[in-house]
Amino acid sequence: MTASAAQRFLQDAAVKSADLVHREIIRLGMDSYDAAHLKGRARIKDWEAARQKCQEIKREAINHLDRYLLQFEEKVIARGGHVFWASNGDEACEYVKNLATRRGVRTVVKSKSMVTEEIHLGPVLEKVGIKVWETDFGEYIVQLRDEPPYHIVTPAMHLNRGQIAELFREKLDPGIVSDDPADLMAAARRKLRQAFFTAEMGISGANFLVADPGVVAISTNEGNGRLCTSIPRIHVVVTGIEKVIPRLEDLAVLWPVLATSGTGQGITTYSTLIGGPRRAGEVDGPEEFHVVLVDNGRSQLLADAEQREVLHCIRCGACLNICPVFRHVGGHTYGTTYPGPIGSVLTPHLGGIKEFKHLSYASSLCGACTSVCPVKIDLHHHLLQNRRNATEAGATKSSERMMFRAWRSAMLQPWVYALGGWSMRKVLRVIYGMGLAGTFLDPMRVWNRHRTPVPLPSESFRARWRKSLGTN
Amino acid sequence: MAQTENPSREQILERIRTGLRTVVADSPYTGSHGEIFAPINNPLERFQQECIVNLMECVLTADSAASARQFSKVLELVPQGEVFVQDDPALRRLVELAAPERPIRWSSEGAPSEASQATITLAEALIAQTGSILVTAACGGRGASVVAPCHIVYATVAQLVPDLATALRSVARQGTLDHNSFACVISGSSRTADIEKILVQGAHGPRRLVVILQTTN
Repeated sequence: MTASAAQRFLQDAAVKSADLVHREIIRLGMDSYDAAHLKGRARIKDWEAARQKCQEIKREAINHLDRYLLQFEEKVIARGGHVFWASNGDEACEYVKNLATRRGVRTVVKSKSMVTEEIHLGPVLEKVGIKVWETDFGEYIVQLRDEPPYHIVTPAMHLNRGQIAELFREKLDPGIVSDDPADLMAAARRKLRQAFFTAEMGISGANFLVADPGVVAISTNEGNGRLCTSIPRIHVVVTGIEKVIPRLEDLAVLWPVLATSGTGQGITTYSTLIGGPRRAGEVDGPEEFHVVLVDNGRSQLLADAEQREVLHCIRCGACLNICPVFRHVGGHTYGTTYPGPIGSVLTPHLGGIKEFKHLSYASSLCGACTSVCPVKIDLHHHLLQNRRNATEAGATKSSERMMFRAWRSAMLQPWVYALGGWSMRKVLRVIYGMGLAGTFLDPMRVWNRHRTPVPLPSESFRARWRKSLGTN
Repeated sequence: MAQTENPSREQILERIRTGLRTVVADSPYTGSHGEIFAPINNPLERFQQECIVNLMECVLTADSAASARQFSKVLELVPQGEVFVQDDPALRRLVELAAPERPIRWSSEGAPSEASQATITLAEALIAQTGSILVTAACGGRGASVVAPCHIVYATVAQLVPDLATALRSVARQGTLDHNSFACVISGSSRTADIEKILVQGAHGPRRLVVILQTTN
């Protein structure tokens, strides 16, 4: 298992980083994000104070998670809503599936929710014959391509307008001629409108669960989240237990910071608060309101003294956008629900350190992710801790352990180290001289396969050091 | 309705409580921060500026007669067909003056339909800091601000608050969310940038958001 997930990552990374079209699409997308993000940050007088405040809000919430979740639950139930606690993805999916079946649901409209991706809710519903429509434009595009979201905020950022127009011609309407983004959006809107007005159930995620008033906060720009939670007769929120925050007023800083980090906006277009089903006398809204609180490994993280703060994440995507590894290998290469630095930290906790330890190495440890995180999660140090944890858990290969034992021995005995260096120079000189650099005979082939070999030094560093001491 | 069965609830709570017993070395809670957002000295000016940033229209009017004229102007650009209006005496007076010929669907008759060409509602508050309108279920329902291609809001300057914190404090203090199942801070028209980060207005919700802002009550 370990080898295959890691090997898949390496294979996909090699393909993606050599794909010049993909790189150009991502470069343009990220350039645009960078400019918007900087502009957005400039609108906040003291960005560091905002990060500090957000960190403290999330820390307070997570350090009293039981209390705030119970407070939230009590309020929702008092308004006639339902709260279901799911230990894992299967329990959450079963609850939603059974609810849908009992209520005779044939069609579901979904707004973007990474937790539903994490627990694979869509396929579970489709298996019992329920049609599931992803209604976020990017999610709809990747659903038509039958692939997972590429990015947690912009799911289809790996595609250009030409590729999307071609997809729409194939799947929606062969008559679509234009590849103008406005025309493509209009085509999707026409299709999804029918879904909104026929669906019996709307499923959304939540950006925050606000404990004090007992409401879910959902941020969307397109308005699809609004329609999913307004028109169908049942609204189900599927979300992680870590999304809770103490007070409504906390949103006065969390909303602008989430929007700035996510897209560079001052605030997301629709910042919605929902506390229950439609009340007596209200014009519209669902008759039923359910919140599914998903644990799925999150509560285990609370006991991790070093990494509890990973639960502070507000899923803004800023760490993905700045990560040099993400920018080159792209989102799908990670093979996980949450890609990029936060995914590399979180996934081993949710999916197992053995299978996903390789993700800790998908980082240059440059610390860029930590520097942009709006809740100040020390991401690159957590990647280092995961490397250490994997080693301590014996999740490394025996060949790797042997190599490190040999390395340790050489470092403790200078003459062994010198002999190793001397031998390597001799061997490489012969191989390079025969033009075999990068072939299977080359011990440096991983590096030399795609690069010109680094010229070999004529003498060792220690010899040069001694000479330099002699001349000074 | 039957109470939700929750076989895992206690287990999850127990796991949380067990996890929280682990002592985490944290940087000390400061409780005080620098000034995060710059103070807003002129809320009206700021609101107008933010409306431009949010690609929404803000029209200032001196009195209700001027507001009616502006409504009329905005509705001239809306295609023929039904307009959904929040059933409120002030809006009834305005709409009778501004669009006597239009077929009107009042919120007291039900939710806006797919055929609604525009919606007209009030707002609970306007937020200068972000150029936003705050609506609740009482403002014509949930669909009133998102179903039609054009949403027109009638508000007065007295409803303007300087920032999000003030607006949210007021919502908490007045128990707004105990009386409404829904509230939303709307900051512009519906939009997406999912293709090549190019901004497209009018994704699933309104292409136009117009605020008719009257300077007198």
